[in-house]
Amino acid sequence: MRRAPSWPRHAIMLVVSFLMLVPFYWVVKTSLTGENIYAYPPHIVPVDPHLFHYVDVWYLIPFPRYLLNSVIVTAMAICGNLLFNTAAGYALTKQFPGRRWVVLLFLSCMLIPFQATIIPAYLITSWLGVLNSYLGTALPLLSTIICIFIFKASFEAVPRSLIDAARVDGLSEWRIIVRIMLPLSKSAIATNVILTFIWSWNAFLWPLIVIRTSEMQTLPLGLARFLSVMEDTTGALFAFVVMVLVPGLTIFLMAQKEFIRGLTTGATKG
Amino acid sequence: MTSWYQRKRTRELALVACFLAPALTIFFLYRLLPLGWNVLLSFQSWSPLKAAAWIGVDHYEEMLLDDDVFWDALTNTLIFIGCSPIAIALALAIALLVNSDLRGAAIYRTIVFLSYPLMTVAVGIIWRWLYDERGGFFNYVLRSSGVIDQPVKFLQSFDWALPCVIAADFWQVLGFYMIILLTGLQSIPQHLYEAARVDGVPASARFWRITLPLLRPSIFLCIVVGILNSFTSFDLVYVMTNGGPGHATELLITYIYKVGFGQSRFDYAAALTVVQFLLLVVLTMLANRLAGGNAGSLER
Amino acid sequence: MNWRRFLMHRFFVVPAAVAVLVAGWNIYIAFNDGGIIEGEVRDRAGAPVPGATVIFFERNFVYYQEKQRTVTDAHGAYRFDGMQVHVGQLEARTADGRQSERRQLRLWFRAQNAEVTPLIVDARRG
Repeated sequence: MRRAPSWPRHAIMLVVSFLMLVPFYWVVKTSLTGENIYAYPPHIVPVDPHLFHYVDVWYLIPFPRYLLNSVIVTAMAICGNLLFNTAAGYALTKQFPGRRWVVLLFLSCMLIPFQATIIPAYLITSWLGVLNSYLGTALPLLSTIICIFIFKASFEAVPRSLIDAARVDGLSEWRIIVRIMLPLSKSAIATNVILTFIWSWNAFLWPLIVIRTSEMQTLPLGLARFLSVMEDTTGALFAFVVMVLVPGLTIFLMAQKEFIRGLTTGATKG
Repeated sequence: MTSWYQRKRTRELALVACFLAPALTIFFLYRLLPLGWNVLLSFQSWSPLKAAAWIGVDHYEEMLLDDDVFWDALTNTLIFIGCSPIAIALALAIALLVNSDLRGAAIYRTIVFLSYPLMTVAVGIIWRWLYDERGGFFNYVLRSSGVIDQPVKFLQSFDWALPCVIAADFWQVLGFYMIILLTGLQSIPQHLYEAARVDGVPASARFWRITLPLLRPSIFLCIVVGILNSFTSFDLVYVMTNGGPGHATELLITYIYKVGFGQSRFDYAAALTVVQFLLLVVLTMLANRLAGGNAGSLER
Repeated sequence: MNWRRFLMHRFFVVPAAVAVLVAGWNIYIAFNDGGIIEGEVRDRAGAPVPGATVIFFERNFVYYQEKQRTVTDAHGAYRFDGMQVHVGQLEARTADGRQSERRQLRLWFRAQNAEVTPLIVDARRG
């Protein structure tokens, strides 16, 4: 059977790839250049490139502090997610009265986007007294419904014989989860971790609402604040952007497969 | 025997309840309760200083009759949502190209998808710089190719600001649509195509009769994400234009934020949120109906 | 658990590589953060200029202000100690009115030990 020539498709995909990569290149170029970036015409290749904008950014704004805050909030979100989602996923594999209603409840919660809840969520967080704290920032992200269902599916795939044998051996429920089901669900764990990381690391609206002092700000907030407070004429802002994007990109490239798998088994944010 | 079983059953139920409790608490606190409270707040006059008072539909009256910004925001949000089929079509084209046995398809896929996991604030700043009239890419290309003489202030013009923000959003969300559609494409059984080819069905008919109908669930998913996208684009708008110039790029979500946390009018913001949520529900049901019911899937 | 497979897996290799880089960089910093900035002052012929005043300017948002000054020794060499800066400017002046250019100094981290190329003083005012 004659195959269609592949070079037109390559040509189109090359154009598409170029268009998708131009924004990255433009920003990296600006962060490295030593010229006045507002002079026209802008050069395609950085003029007199130097890495000192990155040094400037590190000391000009409390980048380590923002990084630490982001890391702590994300770590809390990941731990909470692993704990709560595993437990809920396991509970859903059992038969109990009202199971259908609980599943329906979860599914309906999936339909409520976060943006429809910001005002009362702020009031609730304030009432709980965790405003402007790590816990308050991480709290709405401590569990996601997609991940519960991912764990549920993964646990249901574990052969019953293994579980029964463990029960006969007298293992408690939690032990069963940790010793038997989790090791067999490594891909579910990886998916959960990467999805939570991306959502928590990139979260902007909720931290914007909850965080009130500048020491508690996370990276996205720090970036937005830099833009409005210190919108300067050098490449420092873009060095900041690159520094902010590098961790996210690294983790994404490392865990691409799991991330894509997590997205396609549920797609809308839980 | 029976009492042992009952005790075991009770223990098991207690365990299930314990395991479900944390997740359920989070969702109750941050999804269900806020939804209900929003509706309640929208009918009240509430401030942190005095007690809530029931005022009925005053907020809705103000919103629909007096508030021009609301109508601007609503129009902009609808335009935003209306542009998502364009992005979905583009993503479908890319997915089809990538799905065919092209060498290096995995690299192309990664390049297109690279923009999705990025921090949206960073994406906003990147595109803000791309649109800049002095150092930006677009003005540079347009001016050096002679199309225009003077730089165009993209993000400050009333006509171009919203399309520019939408373009930035396209860049980020294209990869996501592509992945969803790619997964859908790969789940179409190959033997259908073989049978059609053997029967002499031309390629375009193969696309319209086999591929598209079987992609309906994926396309429906993309449309729902596109609707939600207009709500999650808060980050982009906040960083690129903050709703400006005037209210040309104001979306419902940015307006809600400004009213609720800028003007501290929580009750009015709650009414706006209710309207936004209703919009989401109506549009999703409409999309469901258009996709043939049942979220687009062909079987029961 | 198969240890070899775990060690070769990207989830371990990538964070480990990052950790090694970060640790290595911090060790380098620990050995080089005395805040010592030293150099020489020469005239246009290349001869060292003793007794010249070298001024260090530190950055204050958009302008530079004087932070410290020192005098070159008999070999025309000067040295600042304990400078907790990562960016600044250096200028040399002699008693008879000669002045060097304003040399921009950019370091990789705060208090990095730096050896600056010689500052050239000549009669032309900077």
